[in-house]
Amino acid sequence: MNFLRQLRGELAKLFRRPRTYLGYAVFLVMESIILLVFKLEGSQRTMRTLIERNGFGFNDYYSSLTVTYWVMGFSMFLLGSIYFALVAGDIVAKEAEDGNLRLVLARPVSRLRILLLKYAAVSIYTVTFVIFVGITGYAMSVAALGWEGGLFVWNFKMKVFSVFPTWAEGAGRIGLSAIGIGLSMITLSSIAFMFSCFKMKPAAATIMALSILFVDMVLQEFPFFKPYEQYFVTWRMSSWVYLLENVISWPKLAGSYVFLFGLNATLFLIGYTAFRLRDFKT
Amino acid sequence: MLSVTGLCKSFGGKPALHDVSFEVKRGEIHGLLGHNGAGKSTTLGIILGMVEPDRGEARIGGVSVQEDHAGALGQVGAIFESPAFYDYMSGWENLRILAGFSGRFDERAAREVVERVGLTKRIRSKVGSYSHGMRQRLALAQALLPEPQVLLLDEPTDGLDPEGIKWFRDFILDLRRERGMTVLFNSHLLAEVEQMCDRVTILREGRLVHEGALDDLREEAPVYEVNLEPWGDAKAFLELNGVQVLSLGRIALPSDADPAVIVAALVGSGIRVAAFAPVRRSLEDLYLEIATSHSDA
Repeated sequence: MNFLRQLRGELAKLFRRPRTYLGYAVFLVMESIILLVFKLEGSQRTMRTLIERNGFGFNDYYSSLTVTYWVMGFSMFLLGSIYFALVAGDIVAKEAEDGNLRLVLARPVSRLRILLLKYAAVSIYTVTFVIFVGITGYAMSVAALGWEGGLFVWNFKMKVFSVFPTWAEGAGRIGLSAIGIGLSMITLSSIAFMFSCFKMKPAAATIMALSILFVDMVLQEFPFFKPYEQYFVTWRMSSWVYLLENVISWPKLAGSYVFLFGLNATLFLIGYTAFRLRDFKT
Repeated sequence: MLSVTGLCKSFGGKPALHDVSFEVKRGEIHGLLGHNGAGKSTTLGIILGMVEPDRGEARIGGVSVQEDHAGALGQVGAIFESPAFYDYMSGWENLRILAGFSGRFDERAAREVVERVGLTKRIRSKVGSYSHGMRQRLALAQALLPEPQVLLLDEPTDGLDPEGIKWFRDFILDLRRERGMTVLFNSHLLAEVEQMCDRVTILREGRLVHEGALDDLREEAPVYEVNLEPWGDAKAFLELNGVQVLSLGRIALPSDADPAVIVAALVGSGIRVAAFAPVRRSLEDLYLEIATSHSDA
């Protein structure tokens, strides 16, 4: 009970911060821009080619569900990574820098508990934020294109191609993939969280996390690393797209998410060790 | 109630504390003094479990902070210089979050504490709109939730106006009177420490150079202002008899010396004693004397 009460306090700190809502607003703008791009003739032509070349009707699959899939993917790739790294990089380092942590550390609570609370808050925030992006992305797509139509999924990198002709099936899969993206993004938050536990500025924690992600993404594209791409974090993080296969490959998904959960636990332990060994001088 | 034993700590190979031990008795207000970098904050950090000592331990109510962090800190409330709250939240929300780390948040007790520190009207306002004095009152309120046995105050009156300082002092003295609260008080404001503390510990360059009651400190080498003629003969006579001549007309007697006997001896040796009066030295004088003697050493 105590943990839940303290978690509520931790979430309140996160969600009462005006900056948190600035992020939501930025994402809405981002989604609008992506949606606008999808309304452009050039983009529609590309989509038409992609859908029709595969033998499907453009009018059946150029739908709110298909656009939501692209909006979620693009916005998470372009802005989500920056935003999650920013929030998770702040969560410990900012409080240490501002001095809030001293008042908490002076309480009869273990450092492990403090970090578990913060990690849980960041994870909840990450998943709910992705779901928010999914819901608003879908709502905007519906406003622009109407709610009818199926879902057309195409991901060259992860070799996923599938179609869901009925709205119900497509919507279910989009919902499922939002949860998948959320879980994947926890790894990015975990990297930033780990750095946040070290004695460093919040901005440094964010930059370090983003750098790792960037290097990881670039390296796996090198021909030398191609055979080993499944060992790269960002490749594993992209596994959410398997949730959009016509027949979900649960073993592949489980393999990736076990890899990510293991990595998250390791990152947390490294962060905790650094935090545990730190001296907080008054 | 609170004790530190053999504390040693160094940062990056640079010693910050060297074998520091002292004790704060139940119901006592104890001042922790020292120059910047003397090791006061490191000592408080170790007592609060924020700094891990290289050697030694801190105990609160007999419980080791290093071995049973939660058990020891459950008895403590702490205030820091320039306390940092979540500015975008109200004072009440801050109290709820911070007190939540010590167990259940008791709203009734919180309301009483808020009223006592005089923040009732502003407790629902965002802390970002608080003055420094109000923040310090909020800091006091959070430290008192739930009821601690020991208060650790790190430069609590820094930046407060004279009214604020007096209010704070009276508040702490009332707490001690009503609840028998034990207080460890770290401050640069020696006049403040003098008015509040029963005992002091003085640190210099990470070493303990004095620990004891303020009155004992004064009695260790009582100082007198004297007017003796001729001064040259008087000075030679006094030094011969183990009296320390501090400056022209100012002497320090050994603690076991009887001033009446000294005066009689001076008169007996033909020296005119026009004045021989004890000087009540402030804590500042005593602190500077100790600090100077140890830096000379």
